[in-house]
Amino acid sequence: MLRIATAIIMSMLSPYRVLDLTTDRGLLCAEILGDMGADVIKIEPPGGSPARLIPPFVDDQPHPDRSLYWWSYNRNKRSITLDIASAQGRELLNRLVKSADFLIESFDPGYLANVGLGYDALNAINPAMIVVSITPFGQDGPKAHYADADLIMMAAGGPLILAGDDDRPPVRLSVPQAYLHASADAAVAALAAHHERVDSALGQHIDVAAIQSIPIATQSYVLAAPLGSAEARRMSGGVKFGPMNIPLVWPAKDGFIALTYLFGSALGVFTRKLMEYLCEQGYCDEATRDKDWIGLGELLASGKEPLSEFERLKQIVIKFTSSHTKAELLQFAVDRGFLMTPVSTIEEVVKSPQLASRNYWQTVEHPELGRSFSYPGPFAKFSATPIEYRRRPPTVGEHNREIYAGELGLSTERIAKLEREGVI
Amino acid sequence: MATRRPLEDVKILDFMWVMAGPASTRILADYGAQIVRIESPTRVDTARTLQPYKDGTLGPDSSGLFNNCNAGKLGIAMDLKNPRAKEVVFDLLRWADVVTESFSPRGMKGFGFDYAALSAVKPDIVMLSSCLMGQSGPLSTIAGFGNMAAAISGFHNITGWADRQPAGPFGAYTDYVSPRYAAAAILAALDHRRRTGHGQYIDLSQAEASLHFLGPALLDYTVNGRCQGRHGNDDDRFAPHGVYPAAGDDTWVAIVCRDDRDFGNLCDCIGQPQLKSDSRYATAAARLERRRELDAIVSEWSRALAGERIEATLQERGVPAHRVFNSADIFTDAHMKHRQHFVELPHSTLGTFTVEGPRAKLSRTPADVRRSAPSLGQDNSLVLEEILGYDEDRITSLAVDGLFG
Repeated sequence: MLRIATAIIMSMLSPYRVLDLTTDRGLLCAEILGDMGADVIKIEPPGGSPARLIPPFVDDQPHPDRSLYWWSYNRNKRSITLDIASAQGRELLNRLVKSADFLIESFDPGYLANVGLGYDALNAINPAMIVVSITPFGQDGPKAHYADADLIMMAAGGPLILAGDDDRPPVRLSVPQAYLHASADAAVAALAAHHERVDSALGQHIDVAAIQSIPIATQSYVLAAPLGSAEARRMSGGVKFGPMNIPLVWPAKDGFIALTYLFGSALGVFTRKLMEYLCEQGYCDEATRDKDWIGLGELLASGKEPLSEFERLKQIVIKFTSSHTKAELLQFAVDRGFLMTPVSTIEEVVKSPQLASRNYWQTVEHPELGRSFSYPGPFAKFSATPIEYRRRPPTVGEHNREIYAGELGLSTERIAKLEREGVI
Repeated sequence: MATRRPLEDVKILDFMWVMAGPASTRILADYGAQIVRIESPTRVDTARTLQPYKDGTLGPDSSGLFNNCNAGKLGIAMDLKNPRAKEVVFDLLRWADVVTESFSPRGMKGFGFDYAALSAVKPDIVMLSSCLMGQSGPLSTIAGFGNMAAAISGFHNITGWADRQPAGPFGAYTDYVSPRYAAAAILAALDHRRRTGHGQYIDLSQAEASLHFLGPALLDYTVNGRCQGRHGNDDDRFAPHGVYPAAGDDTWVAIVCRDDRDFGNLCDCIGQPQLKSDSRYATAAARLERRRELDAIVSEWSRALAGERIEATLQERGVPAHRVFNSADIFTDAHMKHRQHFVELPHSTLGTFTVEGPRAKLSRTPADVRRSAPSLGQDNSLVLEEILGYDEDRITSLAVDGLFG
């Protein structure tokens, strides 16, 4: 009975060990696996991962153990330091590989092979291990060795040209996104390969390229050219398609809201509902209310309705939205099913009653700082195996002793020697 | 011959619609999962009405978005409100390992297909619900799309220029982020079920999952009390860091200098090597301080040159640079061709249809997309006859009772 009970409370991925060798390009992948229970060992170069130097920092004090970027993507991991490019380091890594189920890495293509840790070498040691490589442009192809950065990838992958004001250069999201898309795809791919491994007992190498993970953020407009459709063009808070300027961000009394004001067989229904209310409130006449909200998009596109009519309708809506606060407009959405939400500041997100009501924020203790902090909570609520924040993000090499002595059985003297020699 | 894909034994009964939901199961379809997706014969899936359209023409099957999210799945059209829906849904449930849905939280209960009802029939089912704000809370029933979840989750306010209104990321941003979390959740829950025999219910709020992509900004507020806003393309660490004009209409190149070496190489490339030793730009901190000056210097150089040449010149010296690509640029790019990013598939009503291919390359059991998204009800017979083993009389009787619209 006890065994069964243990099995029930066992988390989803607790039997599996993940070696996380990633730079800032791949940290999220193993965090997703770690959140779902995997035993993740973050392997950092001696001194700590360069990703620990990415701001912001606690109290704006730069320090490897105070990076909030690092904190965001390293929860539920243990940390060891190891110079994998040294002979001794490689030998220690190979010992860890023997008991690992996944190895995630994000070095430039070819780097691991150059230090004797290419897929073939790893596969020879542990044929069942799944190796996931996360890179900007993939393991091969003409741009495989391009120099990269978040902005570069967003430019190359399609979303950038579509975002921003039409009289200025395209803009990115100001929080880096490119490698998060790739890392999240990598987590899914790793689990798919794992599913197959249950039968085959074989691992494999997974090649994830950020350049292929990012185009989904064009809402499939990346298909415009192959489908023979017109390209969309950017417009602040909306999109230009053909002759139409379609706003998705609208003014409120105290800021902005997102409002979907579109037509067609699916969306026209919502627009009709909004216009019925606006008519009731005196914002428009009955003839306006009774327009063909299903067919209007096609009528505008074909010129049967002049574009000036769309502009007139937008002004009616702006008159309504700008005379209410974001909170009032959100309440309209809840009560009446209008397609609108506030454009929230980060502060408003953190203070969101919705998130509070779902106990989203998690208090994570940082004993090394003598403080605790509020973290974004589990990415989903699992009824049988809830995600737990078992470990705060580790300090540099925090688990060296636990793993080198406790698991690999190295003596205190050997560990001290490895430290002196800069291996760990 | 096509190789075996990793999830070929996984069966999913998929009630999802629009984008965030179907994009989740599309990933699993690429890995070989068998997916039967139920569509309403009367209430059109919004995704079918969204641009871009094949040949620029709206039609029931012509949406690129719909096809991109639903390739590789079987499609059955049936009216879930019909009294006879239950027998078919429950038979599909017995066949399935996983049920997925993305209605607003009252939806499945209204049909009589919430987790309580489904798990009573099949206790070990893994069920995932994905909706904008989650199954509970004051905003749980809000109707809407990913652009709305993105706006209320902070993505819009941090995207754009400080002196202008928020530009927002393009489109339904949480619909791009949350599907990965949904797919990972399903696979982990299946592994747990395999080991323990227990299914479970997963409540995925698209907003909550996506907030992890804003982690550093959220912690900057909860830890430091700083509310990050939008600041164009400026970076906290790097300058120059921006999108610079190239010759031609709306033609741009993104350029980033990560360190002194990148900056030195950039100075050489733009023909101003003396800037390397200029004390005004000698350190990263100094360059951040004077980033507007540097933007002007780089723009001055870039605006007369072809984007391709700027990219090649800088990349040759190891400086991160890339043209800002639109769809045509990506489609014709040699690298994307090499990666086989686009896949042209036969289509039941439109001849062929091009979608994006799988997003990861697995060395031994590669992912693959093998069929176009179904037209409405395209696979009714296949599902009812071959998967459920219904005979002609039973199918006729269901049809007579109006189940298929």
